[in-house]
Amino acid sequence: MTSPARIEVRGLTKRFGGLVAVNDIGFDIAAGEIMGLIGPNGSGKSTVMKLIMGIERPNAGTVMFDGVDVAGWPPHRIARAGIGIVFQHSRPLHRQTVLENIKLALLPDSLLRLVSAPDVETRAIAIAERVGLGDVLHRHPGTLPFASLRRMEMAKAIARDPKLVLIDEPFAGLTAGEVAAFSQLIRGFRAENRAVLLVDHNVKGVAALVDRVFAMYLGERVTEGTADEVMHNETVRRVYMGGDLAAIERRPAPASEKPTLLQLDGVGVLYGKARALDGIELKVREGEFVSIVGLNGAGKTTLFNTISGFLPYSGEIIRGGEKLRGTSPAKIARSGLVQCPESRELFGEMSVRENLDLGGQHLTDEAREKQLAWLFELFPILRERQGQMAQTLSGGEQQMLAIGRALMMQPKILILDEPTLGLAPVILELLSKALEKLRQTTPITVLLGEQNVTFALPHADRVYVLEHARIVWEGDPGRFAAEAGAGYL
Amino acid sequence: MRSLSRSRLLWGAILLCAAVAALLPWWLSAYILGILTVAYYFGVFAMAWDLLFGFAGEVNFGPTFLIGLGAYGAAILDANFGQPIFVCVIAGALVALVGGLLLALPALRLRGPYFGLVTLVAVLLLQNFIVIFAHITGGEIGMTVPDVLSADANANYWYALAFLFVCTIILFGLSRSAVGLILQASGQDAIAAQALGFNVTKHKVAAFCVSAVFSGMAGAMLVFYEGAASVDTVINLSIAVQVIIAAVLGGRRTIIGAVLGSIFLILANEFLRPLGQLNTFVVAAVALAVILFFPDGFLGYALRGRQRE
Amino acid sequence: MLGLQIIVDGFAISSLYALGAVGFTLIFGVSGVLNLAHGGIMVVAALVGWYCAGELGFGTYLGTLAGVAAGLALALATYGIVVRPIQRSRAIPSAETEIFVLTGTLLWGIMIEQGMAYLFSDNPVTIRPLIGGVMNVFGVRTPRNEVMIAALCWIVIGLLWLLVNRTRAGKVLLAASINPRGLTLLGFELSRVYVLVWSIYGVLAGIAGVLLASFLGVGSANTGPLTASAFSIVVLGGLGSVSGTLIAAYVVGYLETLTAYLIAPTLRPIPALILLVLAIYIRPQGILGRR
Repeated sequence: MTSPARIEVRGLTKRFGGLVAVNDIGFDIAAGEIMGLIGPNGSGKSTVMKLIMGIERPNAGTVMFDGVDVAGWPPHRIARAGIGIVFQHSRPLHRQTVLENIKLALLPDSLLRLVSAPDVETRAIAIAERVGLGDVLHRHPGTLPFASLRRMEMAKAIARDPKLVLIDEPFAGLTAGEVAAFSQLIRGFRAENRAVLLVDHNVKGVAALVDRVFAMYLGERVTEGTADEVMHNETVRRVYMGGDLAAIERRPAPASEKPTLLQLDGVGVLYGKARALDGIELKVREGEFVSIVGLNGAGKTTLFNTISGFLPYSGEIIRGGEKLRGTSPAKIARSGLVQCPESRELFGEMSVRENLDLGGQHLTDEAREKQLAWLFELFPILRERQGQMAQTLSGGEQQMLAIGRALMMQPKILILDEPTLGLAPVILELLSKALEKLRQTTPITVLLGEQNVTFALPHADRVYVLEHARIVWEGDPGRFAAEAGAGYL
Repeated sequence: MRSLSRSRLLWGAILLCAAVAALLPWWLSAYILGILTVAYYFGVFAMAWDLLFGFAGEVNFGPTFLIGLGAYGAAILDANFGQPIFVCVIAGALVALVGGLLLALPALRLRGPYFGLVTLVAVLLLQNFIVIFAHITGGEIGMTVPDVLSADANANYWYALAFLFVCTIILFGLSRSAVGLILQASGQDAIAAQALGFNVTKHKVAAFCVSAVFSGMAGAMLVFYEGAASVDTVINLSIAVQVIIAAVLGGRRTIIGAVLGSIFLILANEFLRPLGQLNTFVVAAVALAVILFFPDGFLGYALRGRQRE
Repeated sequence: MLGLQIIVDGFAISSLYALGAVGFTLIFGVSGVLNLAHGGIMVVAALVGWYCAGELGFGTYLGTLAGVAAGLALALATYGIVVRPIQRSRAIPSAETEIFVLTGTLLWGIMIEQGMAYLFSDNPVTIRPLIGGVMNVFGVRTPRNEVMIAALCWIVIGLLWLLVNRTRAGKVLLAASINPRGLTLLGFELSRVYVLVWSIYGVLAGIAGVLLASFLGVGSANTGPLTASAFSIVVLGGLGSVSGTLIAAYVVGYLETLTAYLIAPTLRPIPALILLVLAIYIRPQGILGRR
């Protein structure tokens, strides 16, 4: 297809302080083409989308849209130039009806317009019917189901007939049937000769829809090509899954059946209307290392935050025979169920030692000293950097500090959420060895959430695979490669 | 079409209330009419505040900055240059507009509590300046103006009612217009509004200007009703807080709710007058209770039911 | 000499401002609240202290303690009755919580001011100085009381610094101001942390109020200006920065003293307000602001 490129991005760069979120990204999208922009958390894909829409201003680079460089323009100008965006989270006006929400998108940016032009209403109705909202025109968003709200976002984005449509996580929170319907809608955009950019965590979800894929990692381009090519690309597999599955060592199975420490029965979580977790059944036995693998956006963090008591849920979480419902997050942490979150949540302006001391606050001075000494054996670099401010540490050191701080609480169950995110392979080695040592020298039980399967599998006694809010596979690591590995990406 | 019928219902209600209100002088004493007169001007203060907060999403902690500028602008013009009342009122509105723009244009760039703080400080500054330039403004005691709208309680009442009616039509109409829809979007979610092609800053500045003009006009009108302008009636922080409470009590983002809240508040103030000094205390306490237990206000609760089903 | 007089007097008033403002900034840093009833807490402490010392005959020392205790109680009441219910209210959308808290504390401040005016009339009262007599400071005849007040302010600020940087509880407070969620993950109940910080704040404001009463005199009409000075200082210094607050307190204190001496006492608060407006426009994060 030799259609002219609708949008040409060259050298797009964005820095946030010292962090380079997007580094020299460039791609073309032609009219009537659907491109997928793929990357895990922290890859920069959302930032690229915001840069194109003008929500963030680039430090360098050009965005040629129909021959005009729109880089650095304010968002409303870019919208008027013909780019529409569907945000990941629906943003309706709650006090207005569906029709009024769509009409808004059709209004000119004028201070003096008191009455909308006569054709606005007919056009709005037509658009509503196009996306399937024809019979809820006069309802308020609060009364509509999740999928309808997403349709309304689509309607708003295409209301002014954009030449380029940006869609962030098009299928998040949708059922399989809804995904099919939305795919149809998006194909319709392509048929209308619009250019479409889909931004998503993983290729699998959008593979059927896209013409091309552009994969990113840590702000840089990894590869591009057809969906198939990208899924089988070595670098992509290494970056997403941590390498070749076949080369993983198997663990010996545990000798006896220990008691169940933690159990999840039919746990479900809703974010507003979106279903973030659906009917989760999970069991963790004493002394086990359980891995929850899944790509970003599958629901791992939601799962862990629910267990830690931060989110309301349906179903039951049972620990040692007692329901955790109603216990405050701080109390859950004090009782030995400790989480080391993906975002680490360090006290950046305090020193390493102060961070660790806070973790050990509930111990006597003596016990704390002993625990600290043990920790420094596990992570020697932390002893070296004791006096340094936490935010000046490297990524790997910060991760070690976060894990160390959690260990200072002498947890009975330790939850680790994506400890390897954004870290270099050599650090992964260190972490892996530390986990192994923990395994061998302490009775600790660990729940490890990882996208990086190669990292997670060697340590796991059992594996659960989480996909789109559901557990889709459960078993021991040995069978993973054969049964679940192929379809993982 | 539901939204249209709800609209018609509200407009009908406004007309009905206006008609009933116009007939009140035949039943009520001059004293009560006087209280209602002040309440009607206060209603415009509160509506102007609600337009800015409810629609543009900006909290003005010092509405009396604008009101005071309008009031004193008109008063000084009248006392020193003897212009006819309506010229003074327009001048007051312009002074409020200019003062408001000087304050708001840079301040709208600020995030978080800073915009609110600036508006609060503006009131304090104005209060202090009034006191410094006492030879022009009459300082803490205030100043009198030679002209008044009328000496007759009924006439004053009708002037106030007419003014309130016109302002309500304009402001309420604005809130339900296309521009009002854009303002609501800007206030609720600026990024989403921009992504739909609206220059949010432009609209917020416009909203601020409208708020300033109406606040200034109402402040000036109040001066020509009372025949005097003073810090305690148009600038004082407790007046500012009452304006905000009136709008919250009536229901944020409803415009006409602000009128209901004002009437309620002024009448309550009057009712509590026998308490003497504790009067302000009780009003503040009630206002606090409203915020804690009843933040959606009268119309807020009434209208919410319709949206939920 | 006038210059030295200004320096000495300015130092005392600035130290008092510093003490009050440090509490204000602590509350903002840890609890995220701009307490517009701040002046009210200082005034109540002063009036209760005066009442207990004089009218009830407790004497100056016990009276002062009673005043500080009143400050502590009122601060906790402010948190429990006004701030916490608003923060937890489900009827208020989270984007508007800050505004409602500001309005709520403003109303609470008005209630306190009017209540105090009713109980004690709005005439300023003074607490009899703890130490009488005058002394010579750089050639200026200064009441001993004034020197003691400045010294006391700094001792208290020093104790606060020790508390935050050297004790366990202090580290927890510091951590809460940096990352409350991190603290929850480590098993600390944030609600207890907030009670602690409001208590410390109440004591600080109480001491500042009582000392102010023995230095310049305090009446219910001071409520508003005291709050205004405190948040001017805190915003100028940088919301959440204690060292910034201390520096800004001296800037504002000296500006006010200079104005009172060289221009006119009635114009005292104005330069600080103008400076504040300029600062918000030019450098909103203040001198040393973090957020």
